[in-house]
Amino acid sequence: MKKQVAKLVAGLTVAALAALSTPTTSGAAASLRIWADADRKASVEKVAGAWGKKNGVTVTVVQKDFGKIRDDLKTVDVATAPDVIVGAHDWVGELAANGSVIPLTVSRTAGAKIPSYALDAFSYANAKGNKVLYGAPVALENVGLVVNTKVAKVPTSFADMVAQATAFQKKASGNFGLVIPGGDAYHNYPLFSGLCGYVFGKDAKGNLNPDDVGVGNAKLLANAGDIDAWNKSGLLSSKVDYGVAKNAFLAGKAAFWVTGPWEKDTLDKSGLKVSIVQMPKNKCDSVPFLGVQGFMVTKFAKTHGVESQARDLVGSYMLSEGAQTQLSSENGRAPANTDAAAKITDPLLKQFAAAGKGGVPMPNIPEMSSVWGDLGTAWTNVFKGADATPAKTAFRTAGKNIKAKIG
Amino acid sequence: MNDSIVHSASQQAASSVVYRPSWLAWVISLFSGIGGLIVKVVLLSLLNGLVGWAIIVLFTQDRLTWAIGTTAVLALVDFIYLRPNKLLPAKFILPGSVLLIAYLIVPIFFTINTAFQKYSTGHVLTKSEAIVTNLEQNVVQGERFFMMTPTRDASGVLVLVLVDDVTGQTYLGRSTGVAEIDSASVTVDEFGDIVPPDGLTALVGDELFGADAELAALEIPLEGGGVIRTEGISGAYESEPGFVYDAERDLMIATDTGVEYADNGRGSYVSPDGDELVVGWREYVGFENFTAVITNPLVRQPFLRAFIWTITFAASTVLISFAIGLFLAKLLDKPKFRLKKMYRSLLVVPYAIPGFLSLLVFRGLLNDDYGLINKLLPFDPPWLFDPWWARFSVILVSVWLTTPYFLLVCMGALQAIPAELVEAARVDGATRWQVFKKVTLPLLLAVVTPLLIASFAYNFNNFNNVFLLTGGGPSSDDQSIAGATDILISYTYKLAFESGKGQDYGLASAISIYIFFIVAAMSASGFMRSKALENMK
Repeated sequence: MKKQVAKLVAGLTVAALAALSTPTTSGAAASLRIWADADRKASVEKVAGAWGKKNGVTVTVVQKDFGKIRDDLKTVDVATAPDVIVGAHDWVGELAANGSVIPLTVSRTAGAKIPSYALDAFSYANAKGNKVLYGAPVALENVGLVVNTKVAKVPTSFADMVAQATAFQKKASGNFGLVIPGGDAYHNYPLFSGLCGYVFGKDAKGNLNPDDVGVGNAKLLANAGDIDAWNKSGLLSSKVDYGVAKNAFLAGKAAFWVTGPWEKDTLDKSGLKVSIVQMPKNKCDSVPFLGVQGFMVTKFAKTHGVESQARDLVGSYMLSEGAQTQLSSENGRAPANTDAAAKITDPLLKQFAAAGKGGVPMPNIPEMSSVWGDLGTAWTNVFKGADATPAKTAFRTAGKNIKAKIG
Repeated sequence: MNDSIVHSASQQAASSVVYRPSWLAWVISLFSGIGGLIVKVVLLSLLNGLVGWAIIVLFTQDRLTWAIGTTAVLALVDFIYLRPNKLLPAKFILPGSVLLIAYLIVPIFFTINTAFQKYSTGHVLTKSEAIVTNLEQNVVQGERFFMMTPTRDASGVLVLVLVDDVTGQTYLGRSTGVAEIDSASVTVDEFGDIVPPDGLTALVGDELFGADAELAALEIPLEGGGVIRTEGISGAYESEPGFVYDAERDLMIATDTGVEYADNGRGSYVSPDGDELVVGWREYVGFENFTAVITNPLVRQPFLRAFIWTITFAASTVLISFAIGLFLAKLLDKPKFRLKKMYRSLLVVPYAIPGFLSLLVFRGLLNDDYGLINKLLPFDPPWLFDPWWARFSVILVSVWLTTPYFLLVCMGALQAIPAELVEAARVDGATRWQVFKKVTLPLLLAVVTPLLIASFAYNFNNFNNVFLLTGGGPSSDDQSIAGATDILISYTYKLAFESGKGQDYGLASAISIYIFFIVAAMSASGFMRSKALENMK
């Protein structure tokens, strides 16, 4: 009896194993796996699919939360790992230091069609200080000053903007002049750069230098009185979060809103008449942070034996005008390719792109993780109304803390 | 735990009825005889099939230790369940033990192992991987870039047809060297693809896919030094190595300056000047992470403040929730209470809603200017904005989330207290308050104290409540990493993942081990006291 049971189990085990393992025979044709977020999945499927058809490669696009693409890449199993990922340029430092993405070289003709700052944004300095490219930039985004032209005019100067905003705010209770999500270092960057603040300086070779922290720099501190004045007059408040800012502007209760092209559809549908410009120059140019999105080839493409295919898709095909035009029209972002950018017809997208002129790519070195929290805290504290920290103290402390954290 | 108390109480009430086997006993009885044998064989075979498949996958991914470990466990399971009427206790203990090891012991082992490593952003690969990656990242790009088509000649040798992307000059590249050819012999078709000259066949389809590794590894030597490497399937570029690896002396040597980068024993190649190569590897560094916690002023300064707040938060959440839960349970305990079931169900609602959802809703409700609560109140407390109010809010919301648990626990425990004791005390002339204080509460505490301690330990590490409600903020005056409501675990998170150079898993593991010892010490002393309570009974 006992032996028979054991035999039975053994037999059934073999059957179960056979049933589980039959369909996993590998096909001869090459296949590429791409990780993309929900917004981009459809467009990537289309564009990469067209490339795949031409080259006889099966392209699978796996949907992930945007932030998860970076996180999951650290823990993913080789068997299910992506060969190509969609990502933001500010991941590059970390991914390169971890060896998760591989260096690319693009042809001179293709490279000439991409703005150099976008290529730099996707590059990370190696031990010799040379810039090494890790991704193909395809889309650019930045915040702009969205003006509700029904209640305000496009400001001619920074003072004009403040005056118009204050006037509108005083007009009725519940009105806002200028809405910016409170405590958010990204959306507040035009204010920050307008007062001559910067995050990291550059070394002789033009690479970001984590030892040169500009958050508490002398010029900014000298101009910090402006911030206290905006707090005092109630122009800006850290209690306004993203939702409050958005709702106020869409309800016509805010004259100016700082936001980016991800709200383009909302603005289109809102029926508001808007005009988007760069925030006017204050003490320095009020430039926004630039975000560049693109494609990167992971180290797994090598293990999967599709390295050269993945390089072709990313480093050559995705940089072409055709691919970028199509991606841009599906995603609502300005394309990086200058030929494609020249052909944008969407008025809002065009204005957002123009508002990014002279902008600063978000630092892509891993040290940036030390900055977001402290810089955000400083912004929260300076716009706290009556309890606010003087801006000079807040930014000096933030700069000091960031330096201490980087070590 | 509370379920079982409630259950046993209801069973007591029904004990006078004629014996009828419960459905559970009936299900268990199915597992004897031939029916049970069939169930056993099928389940065991399924398990074998599934785990066997997992073992094959592990083997194919070169995870030998895991594959062997899993095989051993599977063999043990089969052995124990296939011996009829023997090893009976093991049959019951085994499933629990296996799961305990898999989900508790293994993660603990991993945490301890990680705590002794340099494992952070830039230190995730193995050393050999890091060497290859550093070599690759430091390749120096030359001036020229070529459009390329991979081909094979009649004897099957890989030949690259190269077209300079600026001058249009054409070349043939072999692993032996590069030769200029007449540009007229190469044409470009309407798709922009290069048509190779006669005698060479372009690689397409499966041939091209099969040549992937060969293409990536191909280096065509140039006369003046340097090589041409491929970039994908349609490009190639001139390059020179930036570093060479000297395997004998374990050195990375810069080709232009000759500077030698040596292994610093802490997962990096470092030059005599202190320059570090970008990519490092995981390396055992002894107690470095543990001492870093103590020596780092960023860690030390706010530690005490965060520690005191953690204890305050955990203790007050547990005690207030318990007090309110007990009070409500006592109210509902009255036999004549109307709509008792409805009240009981309503009170359990906060427990039934997923915690993170409630926390996010509260975050909105408590918004200073635009939240519902302040719209209803005649004055506007700065709920999440002022350090003290924020601390109050965190405790308030945690109490809201924890009270239903203690309500359930206390309801069960109160029913388990024999009514005779209370009656006897009343007959002896004790007041209601005296009965509660001298009889009910001590008996209750004997049952509930372990739960109080467990709940304290849980709240001590209640990351969600803090992180989702306030994110640890508002910041304190010194704007240090730990905000006013940061408990130790959320502070650890910020320290390990939002400071320095990206993420530091080694440091995070070391701090979580420290936290484990703190919680363990406090729980142990608590349990010793509760033992004293039990002895009193």
